[in-house]
Amino acid sequence: MTAVAIELLAAGGLLLAQQTVAPSTEPVARPRGEDRNGYNVQHSFETGYRFRGVGGNVPQYQSDVNFSSGARLLSSSLAVHSKEGQGRLFDQISLETQGLGNDPYQAASVRLEKNRFYRYDMVWRLQDYVNPAFAISGGAHAFATVRRSQDHDFTLFPQSGFRLFAGLSRNRQAGPALNTVQLFDSRGDEFPPAGNVRRAQNDYRLGLEVRLLGMKFTALRTWEKFTEEWPLELGPSTGFNRDDESTLGSFRRAEPYEGSTPGWRFHLFGERGRWFAANARFAYSAGRRNFRFEEAAVGTDRFGRGRNRQIVAAGNGRRPVSSGAVSLNLFPSPRLTVVNHSALHHVRMEGDNSYAEINNATAGLALLQFRFLGLRSIVNTSDANYRPLKWLGLYSGYHYSTRRIRSREQLGAGPSAELIAAGQDNRIHAGLAGIRMQPADRLSIHVDAEVGRASRPFFPISERDYHTLGVRAQYKTKTVLMAASTRAANNTNSVSLSAHGARSRVYAVDASWTASTRFAIDSAYSKTHLDTLSGIAYFAAGRQIATDQSLYVSNVHAGHLGARVGLGKRADLYAGYSRVEDAGDGRNALAVPPPGRRPGSALPLFRIAQTFPLAYESPLARFSLLVRAKLRWNIGYQFYRYREDFLPSQNYRAHTGFTSVVWSF
Amino acid sequence: MAFAGVRWLLLLLPGSLWAADYVGNNVCKTCHPDVWLNFYRNPHYKSIAAGALPPERTGCEGCHGPGGTHVEARGGKSNILAFSVIEPQAVLDACLACHARDIPRSNIRRSSHTQAGVACTSCHSIHKSPAPKSLLARKQADLCYGCHATVRAAFSMPGKHRVNEGFMSCTDCHNPHGAASPPWRMGLRPRMADTALGNEESCLKCHTDKRGPFVFEHPAVRVDGCEVCHAPHGSMNTRLLKRPVTATLCLECHNGAGSFGRQGDGVKAQSPSHNMADPRYRNCTTCHVRIHGSNADALFLR
Repeated sequence: MTAVAIELLAAGGLLLAQQTVAPSTEPVARPRGEDRNGYNVQHSFETGYRFRGVGGNVPQYQSDVNFSSGARLLSSSLAVHSKEGQGRLFDQISLETQGLGNDPYQAASVRLEKNRFYRYDMVWRLQDYVNPAFAISGGAHAFATVRRSQDHDFTLFPQSGFRLFAGLSRNRQAGPALNTVQLFDSRGDEFPPAGNVRRAQNDYRLGLEVRLLGMKFTALRTWEKFTEEWPLELGPSTGFNRDDESTLGSFRRAEPYEGSTPGWRFHLFGERGRWFAANARFAYSAGRRNFRFEEAAVGTDRFGRGRNRQIVAAGNGRRPVSSGAVSLNLFPSPRLTVVNHSALHHVRMEGDNSYAEINNATAGLALLQFRFLGLRSIVNTSDANYRPLKWLGLYSGYHYSTRRIRSREQLGAGPSAELIAAGQDNRIHAGLAGIRMQPADRLSIHVDAEVGRASRPFFPISERDYHTLGVRAQYKTKTVLMAASTRAANNTNSVSLSAHGARSRVYAVDASWTASTRFAIDSAYSKTHLDTLSGIAYFAAGRQIATDQSLYVSNVHAGHLGARVGLGKRADLYAGYSRVEDAGDGRNALAVPPPGRRPGSALPLFRIAQTFPLAYESPLARFSLLVRAKLRWNIGYQFYRYREDFLPSQNYRAHTGFTSVVWSF
Repeated sequence: MAFAGVRWLLLLLPGSLWAADYVGNNVCKTCHPDVWLNFYRNPHYKSIAAGALPPERTGCEGCHGPGGTHVEARGGKSNILAFSVIEPQAVLDACLACHARDIPRSNIRRSSHTQAGVACTSCHSIHKSPAPKSLLARKQADLCYGCHATVRAAFSMPGKHRVNEGFMSCTDCHNPHGAASPPWRMGLRPRMADTALGNEESCLKCHTDKRGPFVFEHPAVRVDGCEVCHAPHGSMNTRLLKRPVTATLCLECHNGAGSFGRQGDGVKAQSPSHNMADPRYRNCTTCHVRIHGSNADALFLR
């Protein structure tokens, strides 16, 4: 493959996905790096300034995009490679960063490796996330948290038949959060207490791998620790609902929560000659969490009477999980592969909770509650892959799964406490088939289908009688990619008094052309239609409605167009446009569709919400100038527009952009 | 043993190749200097740096087979294992000769990618990878979007996981080489979704607070997984939900219809204290705040 072809591929790769405008993707050159003391060193960094201006609903912008103004190290990379693979302390150092400074999405990864002796990988990430919640619920459950995670993995003797592993993963989430609490009875008002949420998880790993007698055995011991604190407080409040007379004088809640999940993982792989391979895995974890819950609230109820409520609860939850799988691979001929896969998954979820409530309405309440939920599923799949001709491939499969769900529940305390036990079984049989064809040198066509039948699915919306059919055609050369695909899926899950039907149709076309290193264009369009009709039951104005229907209609049109043009020998211009629109059921205003026009709920409030028209678009442009051989200057602009037809108070427009320099050596 | 696969592949080629001689890397780089020039950056260079491996397990001929016939013929793709012309199955067999015994690839033979004829070289560029890791032919999301157009559309929606922003990648949740049967739903689908923390749904790798265990688990989460309520790639609805308002999302399961649920008598319907004609009751999670699982209340109220 020539260097020119590689350049073409790289340029094409730059075009495929609509990325954020920064960091830039235009290469400074093809740096060969510098040779020093037997190592080759490549280094580049992009630093610059982001700016933004938002009009409209800023919290919604923060939830969707969240870039802000300021100086950034937009990206950087360092690669050090030993030229002979015989470095003294290391043979490879690789470092990549993105968004350091104050971007909402920051990441860094490191690889440090010495051939045959050790390998160390690290990934660090930070996400600054704002969740403004639903406007329709008065802004309940808002979050503005920062999540930091890091994964460290160390392997000793990575290329030998005996390897040792050690790893550590840390996950931290912290920041202010708004919750809701309903007081003082089941029809009382909702109040919004706030507090700082702090969550921390550490996961430690230690393991080994041994290769012996043609088999490879891996064992890994894990320990996970988790803690959460989310104290909540609220002073005097009248609640969300103005027509409710409930008031709150003070509210305080503490619910510390901690626990651990020790576990084991085993894996075995064996291969015999050229016709047989087998592998097996087993994982076990025994999660346990302890908690304590304290709450105190003082106020007046919806009838204006003084109320106070104190709750103390404590207990623990336990969940041992076992899962295992065995795969047998047979290769009777070079053109035929048969794989049988069996898996077992077993979960026991149980926990008890001693609950004490004292309030001046009930004069005290004490409960011991226990709940058990057990799941056991067994899966067996057989797949055959056969290629009778060079241009023709066939595959088929039969997948069977059975699941047993058991439940026990105790509500109350003492010998008279009610104990409810139940169990049920689900089964599903599915058949798959597919054809791969290559009628011409660069053209491939793939057709696949699946039909499934389930008995006693767990939920009214689960798959019961379903089938899917998909077709994809692709023409691909080194410079041109054209593809078209369609997929249809249907599911029906009906029993007496309840019917659920879901239907989706997907159509997609893609085309990209990398004409030269100076020009490339990429485009894509897809339409996804989804409609579901489900039986629902509820109470309205004191009357039970048991035979209503919920209709949901979505028609998502998504398009993308991007082009990269070389302007002379030094400048590049990239322009792209991305738009996603849910046309819903055709309405463009918050209106109640007339009953009888199509199926749906009898309740106007549900008919309004059976569709949700929304458009989201983002054009961007980036200009990049090669100032010197190893220095590039970039400037870019990206616009975001969010438009809801039903709730225009959530709409926003955002102007974002950046200017930066990239330096590499 | 490991290279039996490559030897076996050679049977598909002309008979002379099977008996051909190994010539060594120094001969290969005479005609392929562009490949050799940066090969020290390639993870496969480790086999050369190791120094003591037999010729069929190191360098160019470790993957491409013996080059004697190729050299005698002064080049050509028919007399050597040329990955650009062999069938996807043959590419898979060649790569798995070494890579099969890694845990993440142990299900590759039954993966949807293999069934669809997606070979290793569809995503990996062994000699000219621009990616710093895994020898990917392009940036990872670009590779996946190339075939999965609707997934690409989902990540362009306002509510989405931050893949286009470069914060996370497809392989944070998926195993493109094939995953074991997932321990949620009915063990059949999703087929390429990886497990996290040994035997949990991949969402819980980051969303640690949803893992539990809780005294009162929401069975929907444990039985059929997070995607019962959420569209994990992206959604036009807030919080990646499958419906624009929570009331319809909840009521579609909580309708009390027989044969469903833990006790086979229906997923519990709402109580008469709710009045759906009043808008305040339409946002279920305002009161049922711990909907992913609670320790203090069986109805997830606290």
